[in-house]
Amino acid sequence: MIEKFFPKGLNRFWSSLLSIIVAIFIGAIIILLNGDNPVTAYQSMFNSSLGSIETLAATLAVATPLIFTGLSVAVAFRTGMDNIGSEGQLYMGGMAAALAGLVFNGLWGPFHIAIAIAAGFIAGGIWAWIFGWLKVRYKVDLVVTTIMANYVAILFTSYLANYPFKPPSAPIGSTAFLPDNTKLPQFFPFSTLNAGFIIAIVCLVLVWVLFKYTRIGFEWKTVGFNKTYASYIGMNIEKAMLSAMFLSGAFAGLAGAVEVLGVQGRFVQNMSPGYGYDGILVALLAGNTAPGVFAVALLFGTLRIGGIGMERVTNVPSELSQVLQSIIILLVAGQALVYQIRGVWRQRKHHELGKPLRS
Amino acid sequence: MGCGLDMVDASLESPAVEMTNVTKYFGPVEANHKINFNVRAGEIHCLVGENGAGKTTLMNILYGLVQPDEGEIRIFGQPVTIHNPLDAIKLGVGMVHQHFKLVESYSIAENVVLGREPKKGIFVDHTKAIEITSQLSKEYGLAVDPNAVIRNLPVGVRQRVEIIKTLFRGSKIIILDEPTAVLTPQESRDLFATISNLAKGGKTVIFITHKLKEVLAVADRVTVLRRGRLVGVLNRDEVSEQRLATMMVGREVLFQIAKTNASPGEIALETNNLKVSNDLGILAVKDVSLVCRKGEIVTLAGVEGNGQSELIEAIAGLRKIESGTIRVNHTDVENKPPRKVRGAGLAYIPADRISTGLCIRETVEENLIAGRHINQPYCRGIFLQLSKIREYTQNAISQFDIRVSSPNVIAQTLSGGNMQKVVLARELLFDSDLLIAVSPTRGVDVAAIEYIHKMLIQARDRNRAVLVVSTDLDEVFQISDRILVMCNGEIVGEFDPRITTREVLGTYMIGARKNGDGISTTAA
Repeated sequence: MIEKFFPKGLNRFWSSLLSIIVAIFIGAIIILLNGDNPVTAYQSMFNSSLGSIETLAATLAVATPLIFTGLSVAVAFRTGMDNIGSEGQLYMGGMAAALAGLVFNGLWGPFHIAIAIAAGFIAGGIWAWIFGWLKVRYKVDLVVTTIMANYVAILFTSYLANYPFKPPSAPIGSTAFLPDNTKLPQFFPFSTLNAGFIIAIVCLVLVWVLFKYTRIGFEWKTVGFNKTYASYIGMNIEKAMLSAMFLSGAFAGLAGAVEVLGVQGRFVQNMSPGYGYDGILVALLAGNTAPGVFAVALLFGTLRIGGIGMERVTNVPSELSQVLQSIIILLVAGQALVYQIRGVWRQRKHHELGKPLRS
Repeated sequence: MGCGLDMVDASLESPAVEMTNVTKYFGPVEANHKINFNVRAGEIHCLVGENGAGKTTLMNILYGLVQPDEGEIRIFGQPVTIHNPLDAIKLGVGMVHQHFKLVESYSIAENVVLGREPKKGIFVDHTKAIEITSQLSKEYGLAVDPNAVIRNLPVGVRQRVEIIKTLFRGSKIIILDEPTAVLTPQESRDLFATISNLAKGGKTVIFITHKLKEVLAVADRVTVLRRGRLVGVLNRDEVSEQRLATMMVGREVLFQIAKTNASPGEIALETNNLKVSNDLGILAVKDVSLVCRKGEIVTLAGVEGNGQSELIEAIAGLRKIESGTIRVNHTDVENKPPRKVRGAGLAYIPADRISTGLCIRETVEENLIAGRHINQPYCRGIFLQLSKIREYTQNAISQFDIRVSSPNVIAQTLSGGNMQKVVLARELLFDSDLLIAVSPTRGVDVAAIEYIHKMLIQARDRNRAVLVVSTDLDEVFQISDRILVMCNGEIVGEFDPRITTREVLGTYMIGARKNGDGISTTAA
């Protein structure tokens, strides 16, 4: 029965697309029940997110941090490291970038920016590496440690932003504004879209190249599939796990650094509306691939910005985008579950027959 | 039940099993094509064929585990549809799988009646269960102690329990799926006696195997399958090993591979007083010292689970040792990670292809290049050289005759024999000084066995040290230059295959004898 709904040939891309179409369809029913015209609603959603340069810029600006955190989670998950601590790594990276921006003074602009970004990259990476090391050395469960580490990182950076580094004038917990020459250039006067988006694209390409063309990417993938085999064949699995964990944290750190340098101009407590957690969803929907992360981050951006526009033009509340997003996630997650059940079922069947697994 | 007498009459006349034009496809793969399979009541019928010939599929259809696409089944003359194993059991068809399904902590009697327990009120009637078991055991000459707990029993006895279980469920037709794969020669002989007792007792036995000697030992008739099709049905007097092999493979097969005497040279592997624990922390390898020299094939024979896997895993760096030393090419490698051991000169074909030997979710190409992916010319700096890798893979695929449509095929989709060839290709091409192969021919067919043995002998002739772990005495005698027998975590004897016999090895394998029992077994 299951096979009927999810034929074998249907690959992830098409089935994800199908999930999106089904979600849009269900959303249309909800809009109808709300007494609105779904066609106009979706039209306004499209126009206000992708319809013009201004709206496209807004969408890409929302997508930027999601690309970073999506990549962060994807790299870790593909290596079999359950890093769900991107949120905390983002804060550590953001604080490190802010401090690097404040401490150094009078440097040449691009050089100063590079230092701040590197600080964010390294701080996020080290913060994640610590828990990777605990996992490799003492087999401490990553889900537990990284989620706890989120609280530690968020509260620790809040403390720094409220006490040692808070300028007297600041009304909320934040650092002082960074010197102007550290500001990431913005492309348009009307949008916060900035050079951080370019960095995100570079990271996307980097991850794609790493997994497709390099030996470390091959090792990450292999370790993620089967640690026993990876070790047997002579790969240094500890090194692979730790380097993947570092890079994962580093991407989350970049999300924080870009938020500080490109959007806020300083570190602000609670500046992330959960980008790290969204990254888990992005990676899940993207099947942990770089092109997937780009597509899903863009989709999330479209839904969020489009939802606001839709609310302006029609009576449909912008929360509908949240509903659509949730339906898509449910469908894709449900589908992953179906695959898993089918896999287990098939495995059991083959085990009974005493035959090797075949598909 | 009223027609009980008619049933008996029918069973005397009509065949026990009559499968007509049975066809089954798995996707595009033709597992069974218009197969006619007849088993006479009360006979011992062998079903033989290479791996993937469709034997197991055919029997799974009969046992209700798989539904046929076409075809008709009659049991004792009655047309039947078998939807699941429960239907099969009701029709009197029982199956003993390769992997036993017994509750380890229960007694034999409890296992036999499990699911159909005799009751006394709401409680299980243990006395009755024991009675039932000993009665069946007596009736068919299956010696077991009904009170013994499964956990403490050897495989041979467990198998008897499985057979008693099917008898208790009223099976008239008993399917045995490669029953000797896990047995020692002595246990196999006991099993053959059991099988003829069953036949004498009026049961019909279907015996699936690809070991030809067993066919000769027990069969009344033989059905041969090849690539999903029926090749022929032979009577006992028409059967010879060579003829069967030719029918199974479709060409002549060499049984004894030509092999010169070994000329052992330098020591490639040396362990001293090695002690290794198993996963439960119990000492599985007790004080093992062995050497393997370049230019010889040493086989480590023994019944499975006597410490062989722990020993080999320890050598390969996959398991920590308690004490002792391991040297590969004079480099100390104990407690070193596998990559260091490989660096010292080890290539290793593990027993478990699916979880250790391969990454089944990666492509054939990725599986073939792994381990070599860090070396020139397949990698420059951090970048993989994809065209060089493709060249290498294509060579390996043609050299080892791996049957895949493309190197990009996911390994999971390969057949067992092809999976083994991928592992074999990767490890043999390392050209290391020491090659360890654990059960290299398990689950592969006759033609592949011949090929694998040739490759191992070739490796030896190229002056490599080869250590083979095997539970199959045919294999042990065919390829060894020296035999070590392992039992209960110790090496209990060393033999020269030219002057020892299966029977002697067997007694050592089951621990009935040990070196120093007064019999000289070693040739200089």
